[in-house]
Amino acid sequence: MAITLERMRADIAGMIHEDPEEIGLEDNLMDLGIDSMRLLNLILKWQEDGLDLEFAELADRFTLAGWWEAIQAKQAGGGT
Amino acid sequence: MDAKPPAATSGTGAPLTEAQTGLWYTQRIDPANPILNTGQYLDIAGLLDVEAFRTAVDATVDEAEALSLRFGDRPDGPVQFIDPARRPFLEVVDVSGADDPAAEALALIEADTNTPLDLARDRIASFRLYRLSGERHFFYERIHHLAIDGFGMVLVTNRVAERYSCLTKGMEPAARFPPLQVALDDDRAYAASQKRDADRAFWHEAMAGLEPVTGMAPGRAISGPGFHRESLYLPSRFMERLQAFAKEAKVTWPDALTALVAAYCRRFAGTEEIVVGVPYMGRLGNVAARVPCMLMNVLPLRIAPDEAQAMGDFLVGVSKQMMRARRHGRYRSEQLRRDLGLVGGQRRLYGPLINMQPFDLPPAMPGLDVTLNILGAGAVDDITFTFRGDAVSALLMEVDSNPALYSAEATRAHSRRLAAFLEKSMEAGTLADVPTACEADVERYLVEANRTGHEVPDTTLTALIEAQMRQTSDAPALVFGDTVLNYAELDRRTAALAGELVRRGAGRDRIVAVALPRSAELVIALIASLRAGAAYLPLDLDNPPQRLARIVAAAEPVCVLAGPGSEAFAGAQVLAPADWPQEPGEEALPQVEPGDMAYVIYTSGSTGDPKGVVIEHRAIVNRLEWMRTHYGFTADDRFLQKTPATFDVSVWEFFLPFLCGARLVVAPPGAHRDPTAIAALVRRHDITTLHFVPSMLSAFLASPASQGLSVARTFCSGEELTADHRDRFHQRIAGELHNLYGPTEAAVDVSYWPAGPDDTSSPVPIGFPVWNTRLYVLDERLRPLPPGVAGHLYLAGVQLARCYLGRPDLTAERFVADPFRPGERMYMTGDLARLREDGAVVYLGRSDHQVKIRGLRIELGEIEAAIAGSGLVSDAAVIVREDRPGDKRIVAYVVAGEGYEAERLRRHMAATLADYMVPPAVVEMQAMPVNANGKLDRKALPAPSFEVVAARAPATPTEAALCQLVADVLGLEMLPDPDADFFNLGGDSLLAVHLLLRVQERFGFDPGLGVLFEHPTIATLAAAIDADRVHDSGLEPVIKLRGGDGGRPPLFIVHPAGGLSWGYRTLARSLVAGRAVYGLQSPAIDPDHPLPDSLDALAADYAQRIAELYPQGPYHLAGWSVGGIIAHAMAVHLQARGKKVGLVAMLDSYPAECWRAEPEPDEAAALRALLAIAGYDPNAHPELTTRAAIIAFLRAGDSPLGNLPGTALDGVVRVVLDTNRLVRTHYHGRYDGTVTHVRAGLDHKERPDLVPELWLAHAVALDCVEVPFLHPQLTAPAASALIAPELDRRLAEYD
Repeated sequence: MAITLERMRADIAGMIHEDPEEIGLEDNLMDLGIDSMRLLNLILKWQEDGLDLEFAELADRFTLAGWWEAIQAKQAGGGT
Repeated sequence: MDAKPPAATSGTGAPLTEAQTGLWYTQRIDPANPILNTGQYLDIAGLLDVEAFRTAVDATVDEAEALSLRFGDRPDGPVQFIDPARRPFLEVVDVSGADDPAAEALALIEADTNTPLDLARDRIASFRLYRLSGERHFFYERIHHLAIDGFGMVLVTNRVAERYSCLTKGMEPAARFPPLQVALDDDRAYAASQKRDADRAFWHEAMAGLEPVTGMAPGRAISGPGFHRESLYLPSRFMERLQAFAKEAKVTWPDALTALVAAYCRRFAGTEEIVVGVPYMGRLGNVAARVPCMLMNVLPLRIAPDEAQAMGDFLVGVSKQMMRARRHGRYRSEQLRRDLGLVGGQRRLYGPLINMQPFDLPPAMPGLDVTLNILGAGAVDDITFTFRGDAVSALLMEVDSNPALYSAEATRAHSRRLAAFLEKSMEAGTLADVPTACEADVERYLVEANRTGHEVPDTTLTALIEAQMRQTSDAPALVFGDTVLNYAELDRRTAALAGELVRRGAGRDRIVAVALPRSAELVIALIASLRAGAAYLPLDLDNPPQRLARIVAAAEPVCVLAGPGSEAFAGAQVLAPADWPQEPGEEALPQVEPGDMAYVIYTSGSTGDPKGVVIEHRAIVNRLEWMRTHYGFTADDRFLQKTPATFDVSVWEFFLPFLCGARLVVAPPGAHRDPTAIAALVRRHDITTLHFVPSMLSAFLASPASQGLSVARTFCSGEELTADHRDRFHQRIAGELHNLYGPTEAAVDVSYWPAGPDDTSSPVPIGFPVWNTRLYVLDERLRPLPPGVAGHLYLAGVQLARCYLGRPDLTAERFVADPFRPGERMYMTGDLARLREDGAVVYLGRSDHQVKIRGLRIELGEIEAAIAGSGLVSDAAVIVREDRPGDKRIVAYVVAGEGYEAERLRRHMAATLADYMVPPAVVEMQAMPVNANGKLDRKALPAPSFEVVAARAPATPTEAALCQLVADVLGLEMLPDPDADFFNLGGDSLLAVHLLLRVQERFGFDPGLGVLFEHPTIATLAAAIDADRVHDSGLEPVIKLRGGDGGRPPLFIVHPAGGLSWGYRTLARSLVAGRAVYGLQSPAIDPDHPLPDSLDALAADYAQRIAELYPQGPYHLAGWSVGGIIAHAMAVHLQARGKKVGLVAMLDSYPAECWRAEPEPDEAAALRALLAIAGYDPNAHPELTTRAAIIAFLRAGDSPLGNLPGTALDGVVRVVLDTNRLVRTHYHGRYDGTVTHVRAGLDHKERPDLVPELWLAHAVALDCVEVPFLHPQLTAPAASALIAPELDRRLAEYD
C-alpha cells in the first residue's frame, strides 16, 4: 500500500489523539507532541507498509511538509 | 552583528558549541578522568569480510567529520578544528592466540576505555577490530563525549554496518552525513534566537521555588573515574506487560518507565519532590539531526507524585510534563544551572538520570549475528538508570552508579529492587499500593537481621541478684562516699527492708514508690522492693509536688520510701530510711515470677498526664543478660551510678553490677552534672563502666578534667550520639565507646553499636537488635522498607513493656499487632529511622512532637496542657527551637487570657511541671500564626528574645568579663545586665556546665557548679569568684593557689621561666590543708610592664610584695627551676631587710654559674619550654620549632595557657625569652640559712656536674631530697604527691 500525505496525516493524528484536520502542513510536530518514541512508532508502522525510512531521515525537518518531501525523495530515488 | 565565527575547517578553529563547552570544562577540571570516553563494542559472530569492514569504517570516519576533531585552548576560550591528520582508522588486533581471546580483547578494551585522553595530543576517536577467531570479532568504538553523543554513536555504527552491507552486496550507500559545520552554525543561530529566550523563560518558570535537590543517597555528586554497573535483561513477559500498560494509559512505554523510575527514586530521596535528569537527544526538528556530533542535553524533571492518584493519571501527568519539556529542550542544562546559581558545593539541578535509549539496537549486517555492548556513556555523577532496546525484541536495564555514593552491593540491590518495583507498579492501581522493598530485602533486613533468638534463663531480676549475693558474699558490692557494703551486708539490709515492705502489703502487682536522693539507701530501697515481689517506682524529688502527687495517686503504691516531710506524699504511707529495719525477720520473702512487674517508670505524656511504663522481670532480665554477655563484664568491673533513677538508663547501672559480682560506685547527688566531679570519681574509684547522655558527654569532653582519662567502656544513649562526639571521645579518652538505643517502653535498650576509634559512620547508627529483639523500619502502611529509605521504627520481642499503668487506651494505641509474627505485639516508637546496607539502623528524629532535651523525653503536649490548665491564656503552643546548632530550647507561645501575667504563668508551670520541662522562654502573641489549612504555622513562630536590656554597666572587671562569657554561652546579642539571673536569661544546667568551663579558661579555676546555683546572678557569681581569688585575675603578680585558715604562715612559690605559677596548683593542693599558698608571677607578663633590669631587682620586687601581703613573717619560699634561683635571691633580700626566712626550697634548681658557660640557647629551645609550662611533653612535639607554630599549637589546645588573652600569651613568650639573660647576668648573694633541694633524680645524665652541693657556695647548709622524675615532671601530680609531704614535714618545724 503506497503511502500518501493523507495517510501520514491520519497516522500522526492518531498518535497524538487528535483529529487529522488539526495537523497543518507546516506545524512543528514536536509542539504537537511527537517525540522520538512516537516518531519511531510511526516509522515502524510505515515500514510495515514497505517504506524503508530511518529515524534520522525524518528528524531534521520536523513538519508534515518536510516529511512528505523526504518520503517523495526516497520513493523517487527508487528504493524498493 | 552577524560576524560569523570561523568554521571548524579554518586555520583558527571554531568555538565550541554550548553543548560541548560544559563537557570541555568538566574534562579540564579533572584531566586525568577517563569518564568522558564513551565507548561500545559489537560482538560479531560469523564470517566477517575484514577488508570490506575496514573499507566501511574508514569511509564512515571520513564522512563523520567530528571524529577528526582537534581541540585547542585559547585565551578567549577553547576552539576546535577538523584536522585530517587526526582522522582515526581501523586498527585490527589479533588476539586469537590468547588462552581466552574474548577475555583478552575485553581487557584491552577496558584498559583503553580507562585511559584518559590528552585532548591536545590524542586522537579524539579510536576504532579497533579484535579478531578472536575466524568467526568472531569485537568491533570496539571509543569516542570522546566532546565529539559524539549517544545518538551520534548510533549514527556512526549503523553507517558502518550500512556501508559494509552495501559493499558485500555491491550497492551504493545512501546520502552522506551532513557536514559538522551545519551543527556548529545551527548552535550559533539558536544562541542568538528568540526561541532561546522563550526556552529560558519556560525553564525559569518550571524551576521556580526549587528546594535543594538531593539524590537517592547522601553525599557530593561529582563523577569519579569509574562507576558500578549492574545490567539486567528484562524478560519478555515484562516487555509485553510494559507495552500493554503504556498503551492502556495512552502514553509511550519510555515515558511510562521514566515516570515509574522517578517515583522509585523519590522514595529514597525522602522528599516530596524529586528532580530527575532526562537525557534528551535534541535532534528532532534540528537541521543537524543527522550529524554525528555532540548535541544531547539533560532536561530536569520535577516529579512530586501524589501516590494515591490513579496510576494512569500519574503516567499521563508525567508524560505531558515531558512533552512540554522537550519543546524547550535545546536550552542547555549547564546554562540553566548557572542561571539558577546551582554551581558548586552540593548544589545541583537534578539527582538521578533516567535515560531511555529505544534506538540502541545492534545493527544488521548480512550473514552476521551481532550484539551490542555499551561500555560507558559519559559522567556518572549520581546514579543513572538506562533502558536500551525497543522493548519488543529486547530491553536491557543498566544501573550505573557513582562509587563515592553507592556501593556495588547497593547498585545490585537497586537493579533487583527497581525491576520488582516496576513489575508491581504495572499491576497496581496506585503508586501507594506498591511496596518499596522487594522479597530479597524483606528476607535480608526484616527476617535475617532480626534473627536474634538467644536462650536466656526464664528467671527474675530478684533471683539473679539473690544468687549473686550468696555467691560473692564477701566482695564489696556498693560504695557511696565512705560507705562500703559487701554483698552479705547488701543481702541483709535489703532482706530486712523487703520484709517490712511485705508486711505493709508489697507483693505481686503492687508498687513501692522510691523518692530518695542518690545514696546507699536508694540502692537498698530498689533491691528491697524487688525482693518484696513488688515493682519499684522511682520518683524525682526535683519534680513539683503537684506532679508527684498525680503520679502517686495513679500508681497507688503500698508505701513511699522517702525522707520525711514531702507534701507530695501526704496521702501515702511514707517509710523513711531512719525507720527501716536493719536485720531481716524470720518470714520468707515471696516467690517472684518472670512475668511479674519489676519497675514502673513514668515518662512525659502527650495528653498532659505522665505515663507509667510497666516493665516485667523477663524483659529486663533479657536486657541485662545480653549486656553482661555481650560486653563480657566480670566481677572486676566497677560501675559508676550517676543516672537519676527516674531515667531508665539507671536500671542497668543499678543492677548489672550485682549480676556480675562487681562493684557499684554511687556518685553523690548532683555530681552527674559536674564534669570535674565525674572525672574525679572515675579516677578515684578506677571506674570501668559509665554512661553519658551525649550532650553531657560533649560537656565532659570539653572539660580539662576529662583529658587522658581511661575507662574500659563508656555507653551513650538517650539522644543522638554524633560522629563529632565519637571522634572527640577517642581523642581524649582511652576506652571503648558504645551507642545504645531504646525507649522506656522496651526495657532500656534494644539496639547497640560499637562506636570505636575506627568507626567512620556519620551519622553514628543506633545499630543492631539485642537478643530476642526485632527492629522494623516500616512505611505508613506497615510494610518493611529497604535500606536507604526513611521510615517508622517499630520494636518487637521479649523486652516490650507490659503496658502503660492504668491506661489501656494508650497501651492499645502504641502497642499494636506485629504483622510479621501473628499473636505478638510491636511497639510504635514514633522515631524515624533508616536501615543501612549492613542492616544497622540509623536514627533520624521524631515523627511527632515528642522531643528530647538532654536525653529527657518531653511531650510538648504535656507542657501545653499545663499552660492551658493555668486558666491564664486563651491559646498556647510549645515548640523546641534550635536557633543555634546543638542548642535546643523549649519555647512557649501564649495568647494572654484574663488575669495573664508572665510571672503567674511561670509560677504555675514551675508548680506542675518537672524543672527540665519548664520553658525558659515564654513569648506573648497577639494571635497564633496559622497556615492555609488553618493549622498552627510553626515556622512562623518568632525566635524568642532572651535578651534583657542591661540596666546598669558592669561594675568590676570580673563582672564585665562574666557578662561577656554569659552572652557567649547563651548566644545573646547584647551583654546582659550584671544583676540578671543566668537561668532566667535562658541558661539551664548543661549551659551552666559550659559557662563554668569558660570561667575556668578565663580565670584559671573552676568555682564549681554549686557556686553557680548558689549565686545565679552574674554580679553575685562575679563577687564569689573575686572572693575566692583574692586579687587574682590569673595573671597578677601574686595569685592565691590555695586558701588557708590563717593559723600558719603561707608558702610563696616562685614562677619558673614562663613567668606563671599556675603550674603549682597541684603541688599546692597536695600540701596539708590549712596553710595558704601563693604563687608569684612575673609582672612582665603584662606587655606594658618593662622587663626587669636584673634577677636581683625582680627578687627585691617580689620580696617587697610578700612583705606587704604578710608583714609578720616568717617567709617560706619555694621555686622550680629558675623559680628556685629567684627564691634564693628573695631569701637574701628578706634577710638583708631583717626579715625572718623559713623554708627555702628549690625544685631542681642549679646556680647561675652552671649556665653562664653554656652556649646561648636559641629562641626555639626557649620557646619549647612553653610547652612544658602548658603541661605538654616538649619531646612529643619535635615538629614545633617556631614561635608561630608553638603559639598556634597552644591556642588549639585546651590548656589554660593556650586560652590566655592574646597580649598575655605574648607576655609569656617575652618572659620566657628574657629568662636566659636574667640568669646569665645573675650573681648570687649568700643566704644565711639552709637550702632544701629537691633533685630530679632521673635527669641530668648529660650534665653530671649539676649537683645540689653547688648551692653550698651560696648558703650555709644544704638539705637534699631526691625524687625519681625528670626535671619537667616535678610539678605534675605524681611528683607532687612525693614532694608535698617532704615540704609539709619541713614547714611544720617552723609552726
